[in-house]
Amino acid sequence: MSALHEAAFPPAPIQREEALRYAMQPRSADGSGIPQMDECIRMAEGRISCRAVWREYPLIWGKNSLDLGFAKTDSKALIRHLAGCDCIVLFAATAGMEMERLILRAKAISPLHGLCMHAIGAAIIEEACDRLCRQLAEKYPNAVLRSRFSPGYGDLPLAMQKDVFAALDCEKRLGLTLTDTLLMQPSKSVTAIVGIETRQT
Amino acid sequence: MTDVRTLLRSGLVYLDGGMGTLLQKQGMKPGEAPERWGLAHRETIRAIHKAYFDAGSHIVMANTFGVNPVRYNADTMAIMVKTAVEDAQEASKASTAPQKKFIALDLGPTGQLLKPFGPLGFEVAVSSFAQVVKLAVKAGVDCVAIETMNDSQETRAALLAVKENSDLPVLICNAYGSDGKLMSGATPEAMVAMLEGLGADAIGVNCSYGPETMAPVVARYIACASVPVICKPNAGLPSVVDGKTMYDVDTASFAASMRGIAESGVRILGGCCGTDPTYIESLVQQTHDITPSPIQAKHTMVIASRSHALVLGEKPVIIGERINPTGKKRFRQALVENDMGYILAEGIAQEERGADALDVNVGAPGIDETAMLPRVTEELQAVTDLPLQLDTANPAAMEAALRVYNGKAMINSVNGSEASMSAVFPLMKKYGGVAVALTLDEAGIPATAEGRLAIAERILARAEAEGIDRRDLVFDPLTMTVSADTQAARITLEALRLIHEKTGCGTVLGVSNVSFGLPAREVIGSAFLTMALEHGLSAAIMNPKSDAMLGAFRSFLTLNGMDPNCGEYISFATNLPAPQATAAQVQASTPKEAASQGKGLRYAVSKGLCAEAGRLAAADLDAGRDPLALVQEEIIPALDDVGKGFEAKTLFLPQLMMSAEAAEAAFREVKARAAANPAMQRCAVVLATVKGDVHDIGKNIVKLLLENYGYQVTDLGRDVSPEAVLDAVVRLHAPLCGLSALMTTTVPAMRDTIELIHREAPWCKVMVGGAVLTEAYAQEIGADAYAKDAMAAVRCAEALTG
Repeated sequence: MSALHEAAFPPAPIQREEALRYAMQPRSADGSGIPQMDECIRMAEGRISCRAVWREYPLIWGKNSLDLGFAKTDSKALIRHLAGCDCIVLFAATAGMEMERLILRAKAISPLHGLCMHAIGAAIIEEACDRLCRQLAEKYPNAVLRSRFSPGYGDLPLAMQKDVFAALDCEKRLGLTLTDTLLMQPSKSVTAIVGIETRQT
Repeated sequence: MTDVRTLLRSGLVYLDGGMGTLLQKQGMKPGEAPERWGLAHRETIRAIHKAYFDAGSHIVMANTFGVNPVRYNADTMAIMVKTAVEDAQEASKASTAPQKKFIALDLGPTGQLLKPFGPLGFEVAVSSFAQVVKLAVKAGVDCVAIETMNDSQETRAALLAVKENSDLPVLICNAYGSDGKLMSGATPEAMVAMLEGLGADAIGVNCSYGPETMAPVVARYIACASVPVICKPNAGLPSVVDGKTMYDVDTASFAASMRGIAESGVRILGGCCGTDPTYIESLVQQTHDITPSPIQAKHTMVIASRSHALVLGEKPVIIGERINPTGKKRFRQALVENDMGYILAEGIAQEERGADALDVNVGAPGIDETAMLPRVTEELQAVTDLPLQLDTANPAAMEAALRVYNGKAMINSVNGSEASMSAVFPLMKKYGGVAVALTLDEAGIPATAEGRLAIAERILARAEAEGIDRRDLVFDPLTMTVSADTQAARITLEALRLIHEKTGCGTVLGVSNVSFGLPAREVIGSAFLTMALEHGLSAAIMNPKSDAMLGAFRSFLTLNGMDPNCGEYISFATNLPAPQATAAQVQASTPKEAASQGKGLRYAVSKGLCAEAGRLAAADLDAGRDPLALVQEEIIPALDDVGKGFEAKTLFLPQLMMSAEAAEAAFREVKARAAANPAMQRCAVVLATVKGDVHDIGKNIVKLLLENYGYQVTDLGRDVSPEAVLDAVVRLHAPLCGLSALMTTTVPAMRDTIELIHREAPWCKVMVGGAVLTEAYAQEIGADAYAKDAMAAVRCAEALTG
């Protein structure tokens, strides 16, 4: 088994368009006049660092099942998604407690501020995941990386979160916790599998 | 016989090194729990402990890091603690190394986040740790090590559990991020203030990174700690070489770095992940000749929030006074209605105006302070970074709030009466805190400055006799109303100067009291504030939302050379409202004129202009417009326009909510003038996010919209049990209940809640919503209606309740 890698992502400019999209405002609509979003962006700008841990696992293909190295699965959707891959990167990333506090604070100001900050949190963690995946692409120059696939997608059970947490030591490394109902806290967190397909030369 | 407390004060103390990483080398799989693995591999555990003792460790931690009731049942815990402590004790006996040897109970995090961010209640956390502590006392440990905690509040829970169930010495190590903070946001200075207040015997850092990376955090501990400091770092960062996990700091460089750390004043040394007995052996060899620096009490006057420490007595600070129902009808109503939002917004607004701390007073007729003060304390701490001043005359309420307060609080107040001192001083001893000491006693408030000084000196002497540091008292020489006694202000100021000069202690005043009964209160109040600051005031309890008061405060700092580049003054002044502009604005848009330009209340609500909507509604009503007409002709049509736009997908959620909030601002003006207008009131609705789920953004939106449409919403919050929902439905005889759930894993809780309501409160219809739900899924779990979004929830409510 390979090592556990840590990655840190310092604050990046908050993507207003993305945040609006997570607040259910489609890109096509005019989102200029929403001062609450601008206030929330000012509150959050520069304050949120994201952190991630990841580990590579070899894939062992069975007949109708797949050994992911940290757990076995018979999820058809995941098996289809990873077809052709020889290994995966399993990662967990979080925007941390400070983001949770900002969301609570915004909720105390007004429900719309709450919605906006929640959406900003989603934009921030997704952006961090994108940055992580770009780093991974550099680490695997001779491979094609599949898109992220998370427990709970399709028929991949959410219960796999428990295996992910154990495999990546999420509690200790990221301060991430999992409730009995399989909710991650801090809530602006992502766990996902990235398939690695080595290019044929 | 030497005990651990003596050991901690007598020289350098060596702890052990890594355990988990060693067990993995011995075959334990990642993710496997060391305490469980240890039950089946007792020889291995004993051998590791013995190797640490042989290497020179004074204190070895039993293999109990992950033992807690969140993970194990009582029987399993009992076996784990007993086995782990026995193994450490046998290793101690087997080792022939000459140093004194002790066993620590090792307490790690529970793995659950505390409320409000996670499911674990504070008292549940305390009693969870308490169970383990009791087992360890029975097993005969010598001390407790609370370690690798990255949440200050969980650290507090563990420390309280030890203190309340044993008299064992406690060593506390927190795990810091590379930003020099705990994951919960606390700085080293905040942790020192908090943990010393709670009576920790030694404090410091562990795990996280290698010694060089931890050194800056450790230096901050040494600078402000009055108890011995611990450093127990990792052997750097892990990497993989030839398929094996290796750490990048080797034995020799670890020991060399640790020597520097010991020379800088750390007295308790050890290692964490990646270190093994060879690291400890080399650490001992490299440092045993160092004479440890003496343990010095720092006598800093400091309070702390959950994130940072605030030093008093250097630069004057503002304590915001607005969280107090006295004389505020709206605030009392918020307390009675459990309207936390109003109270939290008041806190945030004061923080944004530059308050350094917030006074919190929730005493009002009909309010159970013992329940309310801790609740408001917890909720405020979740949304503000400021330290709090807990303000109550009720000792039970004070203790309840101090228990949950995450940091080192200001305690408002104690006075010179026997009853007060004997109630408050024990709380300070147990929980820590800086108390506001009022210069009055059984005989009342002395009429002279000297009389008030005499009481201050008496309180100080009594506190010191009870082992309370004089720096944990700030004196309040009491502001009296100048309109009742023209000499009152002079006497207070003189007492302030005397106390400041004679005792060297900090001072505090509630400055607003001076102006009661006078017109233009802020004019005289701000002059009094300036005079008090000139007489040595350390902390002003005042209204930071008043431009006059804040202006006097900022000016004082600037004029006293405490405001580099006049930056704070300039930033205050640039945010002052421009007088001409305000006048012009008011002139330009009377309701009639605004309406004639097509920019009346209806326009303001539909465009989501909050302040404008409130202002226009107020002006309209004050001009004599019938409140009901205003609602029916302006607000409701605007809401309907926006609602239809949302349903037709020409407007989206943010705009819908902007309008709803603007309507709310207008409704507030209506309510202020026509308190109970039955024509606008629709039925009671109970809302909740179901048990196990904390995603409440959607529910909050539904609440806002339902309130707009006149429903009397009782919001039970998130993670609400079926029983609590039923209780509210029955109590209010609510005809409608709305439930939200985001996750597939919490839909069963929703189904249980629906079943319970239908069985026990058959008059009540249940509508549901949330990301995972569909019309079909809602039917399957027995809901009466499914609302796909907030507007649909309003339509459902109208259909279900007629």
